[in-house]
Amino acid sequence: MKKRLVISISLLFWGFAFANAGTIKVVTTTTDLKSITELIGGNKVSVSSIATGYQNPHFVDPKPSYIINLSNADMFVTLGLDLEIGWSPQLLASSRNTKIQKGSAGYVDASQGIGLYQVPTSANRGEGDIHIFGNPHYWLDPLNGKVIARNIANGLERIDPSDKAMYENNLQAFFNNIDIKMREWQAEMAPFKGSKVIAYHNEWVYFETRFGLKIVDFMEPKPGIPPTPSQLVKVIGEVKANNIKVIISSPYFSTSSSDVVAKQTGIKVLTMATSVGAFPSIKNYFDLFDYDIKQLSAVLK
Amino acid sequence: MKLIVVNLFFLPALFISIISFAQVPADSTSTDSVLLKQVEQQMQASATEQPAPTQTRSSLTFNPDIGVIGDFQSSYVSRAKKNFDMYLNETEVSLQAVVDPYIRADFFLTFGRDPLTGKYGAAVEEGYLTTLSLPAKLQLKVGKFREAVGRINPTHPHALPFIDLPNAYVNLFGEEGLNDEGASLSWLMPTKAFYQELIFQTTSGFSESPAFTRSEGNHLVYLAHLKNFFTLSDNATLELGLTGISGPNDSSRTTNIAAGDLTYKWKPVQLNTYHSVTWQSEFYYSNNHNAPGNTINSFGLYSFFQYQLAQRWFLTARYDYAQKPYNKSIREQAYSLTAGWYATEFSKIELEAKTTDDNIQARFYQAWLRWIFVIGAHGAHQY
Repeated sequence: MKKRLVISISLLFWGFAFANAGTIKVVTTTTDLKSITELIGGNKVSVSSIATGYQNPHFVDPKPSYIINLSNADMFVTLGLDLEIGWSPQLLASSRNTKIQKGSAGYVDASQGIGLYQVPTSANRGEGDIHIFGNPHYWLDPLNGKVIARNIANGLERIDPSDKAMYENNLQAFFNNIDIKMREWQAEMAPFKGSKVIAYHNEWVYFETRFGLKIVDFMEPKPGIPPTPSQLVKVIGEVKANNIKVIISSPYFSTSSSDVVAKQTGIKVLTMATSVGAFPSIKNYFDLFDYDIKQLSAVLK
Repeated sequence: MKLIVVNLFFLPALFISIISFAQVPADSTSTDSVLLKQVEQQMQASATEQPAPTQTRSSLTFNPDIGVIGDFQSSYVSRAKKNFDMYLNETEVSLQAVVDPYIRADFFLTFGRDPLTGKYGAAVEEGYLTTLSLPAKLQLKVGKFREAVGRINPTHPHALPFIDLPNAYVNLFGEEGLNDEGASLSWLMPTKAFYQELIFQTTSGFSESPAFTRSEGNHLVYLAHLKNFFTLSDNATLELGLTGISGPNDSSRTTNIAAGDLTYKWKPVQLNTYHSVTWQSEFYYSNNHNAPGNTINSFGLYSFFQYQLAQRWFLTARYDYAQKPYNKSIREQAYSLTAGWYATEFSKIELEAKTTDDNIQARFYQAWLRWIFVIGAHGAHQY
C-alpha cells in the first residue's frame, strides 16, 4: 500500500515537472531544508530531499538512485559544516551537473552566517566524531531557521532573479511566522528553564541553548561511540544525583541502552524529532518545534 | 538574547554571499542581459556591504585532502613450511582535490609488501583526473585507475568485507586487479525510472593481470560496463551490472571476458547503522585464444552473503568456484567466513577462515586477521 502510494506520488511529481517547465528543481540533503525551500519558493519550486526525516543525516547511504534527481536539479541545498561529508560530495561529483557544484550559483550552503557552537580548537578523532567547523545540528534552533531561509532565498534569487520580489515576500512571511511561533514556544518552555536532561547524541546544543535546557551528559561516551556499560553507570549516577526526568533521543538511535537507565532510575526516554517527517504529523519546519516542545514540556511537567 | 544579537550580526553577510557565488557562472548559456542584471545586483549589494563576520573555522589551505590507510595482517596457511606470518600488508596514501573548475584529481600511492621477499615497494595504485563539466552527462577519467569490472575490482581491498580475494577473480585479474592506464568515458543515461550508467574504457594492458598483457603492437584492452541500479523500496536496492572486456593475452592473441554482477542490499533507512543485509555475486566467463585454432573457455564465480548483526558487527560468508583459465579441468571450490568488528568509520578488525579444495591437490585451510586503520581524510565508499 505504502509502495503504491510512493509510486503514485512520484508519478504525480514527474507529471507536475513536465507540466511546469518553469519550476526550479531543487534537491536538498534533508527534509528541514526541503520544508524551508518550499516555504520560500512557493509554487515556483519543486523540491525533493535525499534524506528522510527519520534518518541519521550523518549516515545516509549514497545510493546511485539519488544521482538521477541531482543530475537534473537547478539548485542543491546542503546543511554544510561536513555534516553530510560521508555521502553528499560523492553524489554531487557523480551528478555531472555543473549548475549545483560547490561555487556554482545553484549550490547553497545553508550554514553561511550561522553562529556556531562547539567549534573545536584542535581536530583529534580521539574525541569521537567531532566536526572541525563546529556542531552542525544548527537547524534545531528556530532562529537559525531564519538564516537558513535567507541563504535559500539568496540561492533562488541568484538563479531566478525575475521572481526576487516573491521570494523576498515569502522570506518576510517566514521571518514573521518564526517570530510569532517563537513567542509561543518560549512561553511553553519558560517554566522548565534550567531543567537538566540527558541526551543520546550531541545534537541538541542549539535547541538546548535556545530553550534554556541543561544537557548534563550523553548516552554516547563520545560522539559516535555506542553507549558502554561504564557510561551507563555514570549516567545512572548523574540521573539519581540530579533527579533528571528525561533522556532525549532521536528516531534513528536504538533505545535499548536508554531503557536500561530508565529501568534503573525511572527516567523517561523521549524520542524527539530532529527533522521534518520524523513522525507523520510533522509536515513542516514549524510542526517540528511544535511537536518537540509539546512532547518535552509534557515530560518535564 | 545574546544569540539573537549574534544572529543579527551575521545576517548582513548573507546578502553579500551572492557576490562570491555569482563569480563562477553556472550556465554558459546565460544571455548577456541576465549577466548585466547580475552585475547590477552585485554592485548594489557591494554598496551596502558590511564587513563579513569572521567565523572560527580551521585554517584553509589549498593542500589536497590527505589520508593514510594502514593494513596490518597476520596469516595462517595449513599447506606451507611456514604456517604463520605477520606483516604490514599495505600502506595507502591518498591525495585528493579539485584541480580547477574543470577537473578533479585523485591519487592513491601504495607501499606494499612483497609476500616472498618481505621487501616493501612503492607504487601508484591509482592516479587519475576526472572531468567535472563535460556536457551531455558525460564524465571522462584519464590516468591509472581500477577498471569498471563489476563490484570487487573498483573497490580498494581495505574496503571489502573479507581479507582475501575470490579465487575466480584472482585467476583472471590477479591480486592487484585489473588496474591499468588509459581513459574511461562514462555516460549517465537519461533513464528516469532507475539509475543507468554506461562506461567505456581503453587501456594499455600494463596491468599485472594474468588475463591481459601489454601488446607489442597496437592491441589495446577495451572494456564496456553497463550498471543498472534499482530502488526496490526505501530499504532495499538491486544492482545488475554487465561487463565485456577484450584485450591482448600473453600468447599475443585475444582474450575476451564476459562478466556479470548482481547485488541485493537491504538496509532499513531509519536504523541503517544497526542492521543490514548484502547478497552480492559475480560471474566471469573467459574465452582465451592461446594458439592458432585453440581456445580455452573457463568459468568462475563468487557469491557472498553479509549480515550486520549489530552496529559494529558484520558476518560474511562466501562461496568461490573457479576453473583455471589456462586449464579448465582444474576446478577450485572454496568456502570462507569473515567476522568484522567496525570500531568506528576509521578502524576495523576482521578475522577470516577459508578452506579451499581443488581436484588436483588436497584440501587446505587458511586464516587471516587484519586491522585496518585510517588517519586524515577518508572519502565515501561506493554503495
